[in-house]
Amino acid sequence: MTKIFVSAVIDAPIEKVWARVRDFNNMPDWHPKFSRSHIEGGLPSDKIGCVRNFDIAGGGGTIRERLLELSDIDHSFRYCILTSPLPVEGYVAQLTLYPVTVGDKTVGIWTAEFEMTNDDEAGTVDAVANGTFGLAFEVLSANLRR
Amino acid sequence: MIKVYRSAIIDASADKVWKLVRDFNGLPKWHPAIGTSEIEGGLPADRVGCVRRFTRRSDNGLLREQLLSLADDTRTLTYNILISPMPVANYMAGMRFTPITMGGGTFSEWWAVFDVTSGPPQVTADDIGDNVFVAGFAAINKLLGR
Repeated sequence: MTKIFVSAVIDAPIEKVWARVRDFNNMPDWHPKFSRSHIEGGLPSDKIGCVRNFDIAGGGGTIRERLLELSDIDHSFRYCILTSPLPVEGYVAQLTLYPVTVGDKTVGIWTAEFEMTNDDEAGTVDAVANGTFGLAFEVLSANLRR
Repeated sequence: MIKVYRSAIIDASADKVWKLVRDFNGLPKWHPAIGTSEIEGGLPADRVGCVRRFTRRSDNGLLREQLLSLADDTRTLTYNILISPMPVANYMAGMRFTPITMGGGTFSEWWAVFDVTSGPPQVTADDIGDNVFVAGFAAINKLLGR
């Protein structure tokens, strides 16, 4: 089992950050690594079980992920990969936002667990931890900062 | 029942913060409001169920609190109040310390749920949140902050 844990402080109130990331279909709107996304079957993007079908920008392939859990009270969602170019299986990830009451900021924690299907664990961890989760927190910080 | 939640970023590693806070008998080492502390019966301070007996600096008011849980891997502890000069009953509280992987520091959370036995509940809740929890975070940051 490979585990990833990435956390960051975002200098914006939690409701503002949550409004940006809550929509399971809008990652290409704010995450530079991804382009084009739709929810399969035209389902609402907050319907549990819906599948987002999106592309890695620059011809990196298509990823399909299923929404497993969405909680407005915990500012959190959890999802799994159905198909992707990554050498992983059993991939489950979760993004949770926490309020920082002193200073009215937000902490984001993004975790993933999966099994490798080839030997490139270092490259895969880098692509997920830095190239996806870390970059997400960087652009959210840059775009939402007061 | 009222709930208090306060959180802050402490500018020191989570391991360093946890080492200080984990000692259930260590409040006088870091919290400015606390004068003396001892564990009843000479038990180890990390023995779940032990009771810390400590006094407030301001009025020598006595508190007794019992350790309900302690976990090093999640840097979490919970406790309840047995005796306190504060107008509270059914008081249970917890702390958690989480590393910030991007940029360093520690996401520090402190919460409590309780009933207020006299006076306006929100006044007691804010007093505990600001003068106990946030004051505690500020003192740790001053002690350990880079």
